[in-house]
Amino acid sequence: MDAVVKRLIKEIKKDGDEKAFAELVDLYKDKVFQIAYRMTGNHYEAQDMAQESFLRAYANIDRYDENRKFSTWLFRITTNLCIDRLRKRKPDYSLDEEIKGTDGLTGYAQIAATDQLPEDQVVTLEMQEWVQKAIVSLPPKYRSAIILRYIEDLNIQQISNILDLPENTVKTHIHRGREALRKRLKDA
Amino acid sequence: MACHKDYEYKLHQYLDGDMTETERDELYQHLDTCEECAIHYKELKKSVMFVQSASHIEAPFEFTEGVLKNLPAKKKTKWWKKWMRQHPVFTAASIFTVLMAASLFFSWMEQSDEVLTVAGSQNVEIDHETGTVIVPEGKTVEGDLYVRNGHVEVKGEVTGDLTVINGEQYLASAGRVAGEIEEVDQALEWIWYHTKRIANDVFSLEQEDE
Ligand SMILES: [Zn+2]
Repeated sequence: MDAVVKRLIKEIKKDGDEKAFAELVDLYKDKVFQIAYRMTGNHYEAQDMAQESFLRAYANIDRYDENRKFSTWLFRITTNLCIDRLRKRKPDYSLDEEIKGTDGLTGYAQIAATDQLPEDQVVTLEMQEWVQKAIVSLPPKYRSAIILRYIEDLNIQQISNILDLPENTVKTHIHRGREALRKRLKDA
Repeated sequence: MACHKDYEYKLHQYLDGDMTETERDELYQHLDTCEECAIHYKELKKSVMFVQSASHIEAPFEFTEGVLKNLPAKKKTKWWKKWMRQHPVFTAASIFTVLMAASLFFSWMEQSDEVLTVAGSQNVEIDHETGTVIVPEGKTVEGDLYVRNGHVEVKGEVTGDLTVINGEQYLASAGRVAGEIEEVDQALEWIWYHTKRIANDVFSLEQEDE
């Protein structure tokens, strides 16, 4: 995949090739959307942030250093955009509002409308909601570290590159994130 | 809650795989004897598993199309057009060199034999004795008029450009040329005229695209 990505980026850098760019978006859209969704906690903002990530990547492609991993650079754009968005939220923005927008959650909502869900799937759906609530309840800096570590399955070094933080700081954020999740789970 | 902050830290170190074998063995021994720490560890492990169980979400339908629709328009310009816009003179020169060198030279040679050529509308009269192309009074040439090896006399109207190569144009007081009038009478100018025309074509093509 790295060779494909390199070729696509070369074409985009050369003449802004839109076809190559579309291929690149297809390769990364799910991961970028996933990060944005787990960061913002709702479908609408996630779509907005994910789209903006790709537009910025396209506009700034000349600044991307090809010796580094493209996903690192792209995910950094996404997490920065999301953290910015969270910061700009009104101080009275409540968790409930974040949860209200969770209609797009894994597409279960659409299934629920048409079919009768078996018991175990209802449980799964509830658990999914619980997980999402727990993630968005974390402070943004712990949230991003936890998402990259456990949902995107990246290692500490990769996360440190994406978030532009020392590895020890990343570890601390993950520790605190895990502790916060533990307490929430205990109280539930 | 872990019995001690140190142990809480060690549990996280363990979860991150940041432990030597000795440290790990020591922690295992502690967990066997300390219920608080054992529970704390289980809870952490469970939290991690919960987050990991978050189902993987896919980007919405037609996401890529949405991104493409929002790309800035200027980036749509093909690189070679962009490059030409930045280097118009050099572009004109190199296009001339690459594409036109041979054909221009030969067309110049061909044209030197004094054959009067008219390109444009049919609404003209040609006086072969004086070698003059006349746009008669009350007649209109729709579009460009292009005359080689002859003079032009405009009594009527030309809606486009008038170009005269190796000749002179005469615009009667009643005559009218809406576009540009250009007289070209040397090989070099002829070449320059053509290069400029190519460049103009290229640039108008580009503008249409945008
Ligand atoms: Zn203990």
